[in-house]
Amino acid sequence: MQIETEENGADTVLKVSGRLDTLNAKPFEGKLLEAVKQSNGCIIVDLTGVDYVSSSGLRALLVAGKAMTPHKRKLRLKSLQPQIQEVFDISGFSALFEIA
Amino acid sequence: MLILAQLFAGLGLLFVGLKLMGSHLQHAMGRRVRRLLRAATVSRAAGFLCGTVAGAITQSSNAVTLICANLVRGGVFSPRDAIPVVAGANVGTSALVFIASVNMKVAVLYLVALVGMGFHLRMHARPAWREWMGVALGLALLFLGLDFIKSAPAGLNLAETARVIGDVLTPTRGFFLGMVLAVITQSASTPTILAVAVVQTQVLGLGDAIFVVLGANLGSGLATLLSAGDLKGSARQLCISAILVKVSGCVMVGAAALAAILLGHNLDELLRYLGGGDPAFAISVVFFALQLSGGALVVIMIGVSEAISARFSPPTREDHLSRPRFIHDQAVKDPSTALDLVARETARLVTRLPRLLPDLDQRAADDPKARDAAWRGADAIAAATDRFLVDLIDQHLTRADLHITLRAQTQVELVRALQETLHEFGTVVDAFNPPPPLIFNLSESLRALLLVLTDAVPADASPADLDVLDALTADRSGLLDRIRRELAASCATGGDEVRNLMRATSLFERAIWLVRRLSLALRPGPNEDNPPSAESDRLLSPADM
Repeated sequence: MQIETEENGADTVLKVSGRLDTLNAKPFEGKLLEAVKQSNGCIIVDLTGVDYVSSSGLRALLVAGKAMTPHKRKLRLKSLQPQIQEVFDISGFSALFEIA
Repeated sequence: MLILAQLFAGLGLLFVGLKLMGSHLQHAMGRRVRRLLRAATVSRAAGFLCGTVAGAITQSSNAVTLICANLVRGGVFSPRDAIPVVAGANVGTSALVFIASVNMKVAVLYLVALVGMGFHLRMHARPAWREWMGVALGLALLFLGLDFIKSAPAGLNLAETARVIGDVLTPTRGFFLGMVLAVITQSASTPTILAVAVVQTQVLGLGDAIFVVLGANLGSGLATLLSAGDLKGSARQLCISAILVKVSGCVMVGAAALAAILLGHNLDELLRYLGGGDPAFAISVVFFALQLSGGALVVIMIGVSEAISARFSPPTREDHLSRPRFIHDQAVKDPSTALDLVARETARLVTRLPRLLPDLDQRAADDPKARDAAWRGADAIAAATDRFLVDLIDQHLTRADLHITLRAQTQVELVRALQETLHEFGTVVDAFNPPPPLIFNLSESLRALLLVLTDAVPADASPADLDVLDALTADRSGLLDRIRRELAASCATGGDEVRNLMRATSLFERAIWLVRRLSLALRPGPNEDNPPSAESDRLLSPADM
């Protein structure tokens, strides 16, 4: 898994590629929480390069989403591949995040 | 020919009577026996006494042993609590042997008349009466059977028959005959009652009959082990304890008999003396001595008994997983503490739910057998918690405590249903190798939901966690219907696989529904210590995240 961080005005964009599985979930969660602390705007997670998401990956996103709630900021997901979109739909996670 | 027919008819009536009496007694007293057994954990003596009463009521030490084994499996008893009960149950079964040794012919005739009139007056229409009439009928048939057996050899030359039987039935053969009969009838008391009847006909000597009784005693221990079936670990330890009771009894009574012979006593005369001159009563006394001496030794040396049982049947992983951590019988007396313990036990069960699902993300670490053991363990704890709540409801609870208890009961029922659904879902998933993308998505989605549920359960969890859970478990029947339609359209490619995929979607939908119900049930009620926050009434909207 690789994560590239970009600033887009006040927002922070995390470009993720590879697998969001149990092994990678913790480092991914760490990067997200770090971005939540450092950024004042929205966090946008670009999942174009992600072809696999497990329950641990979903949980990492949820932890980050919960960390942003007190600050009234948003975690947005972007460019989900069809099979990843299906995981989000089936799990109900697509109802929790803004997906573009 | 008539003698043989009468003998077989007697045996038939005896077996039918025993069966009728046993099954009706267990129906009539089953709940009370279970309640009685649960009071047995106070002390070893209390356990022994409760076991004696339970054995006398059920007339089957085998049945009491298996009830205890299931209570151990369900985490209600520890093996140390249950060993005295098993030992006492054997003593209790002596009651019927004593009754059989007394001539109750006239009383039995009246009993048959009474039961017959009861049936004629349709008293059996009332469930409680029906069971007790069944018990009375069983007892009457048992005694009629004994009477048939006793009167069968009346046409024979008794002295000659006794001589022939005495020649054929050596002590060793008598011992094995008793053992085989006990294994077949799964009872020590049935062959002993038969021995009582045959001794009364005078075709069998008291000295020979004793070896049949000793064999029957040991054989019933083997029967318990055989009927233990797939019981393992600590539950099986009780069956081994039952054998220890039997072996100890045989050794102690055998040693006493040997000592008497070595001291120059005539065993036959000594036994007659023990029975007050009545050989049938002497057999009952010996049977009682076997149970009491064996049972007492096992209870007095409970540490040794426990160690021997554990050596032959070490505790399994399931034993560890099926033991409640918080609830215990004594806690029922203090309802507020008890409810706190139930909440902790339920939370523990919820945190274990993800373990019931296959881990498709780390398939190398996934072990279906470990999952199966985890499911059985979790089910046993849920059952024990449910029983604990039923006992709690029996206490004089305040209105508020009763309300919380009923809510806790709903939570436990939902957890139990969820455990069952996840187990079934896991079984369906295991049928795929490798799992197709849909199965992966369903399984990992369910795991993600369960992880959110485990976050929402602790007492200090934020109500927002339950809100997230509500949002995640919103209705998705449209999506699942679309998936099912697509699967149905592809049915021509593989029937079994499609059926399993359909089943997986149904179980997934049910699991989601149960998680939603559980999420609602976990919210504090308005009249509990934690009043509901305004925040907890709203669902988390996507905009909040």
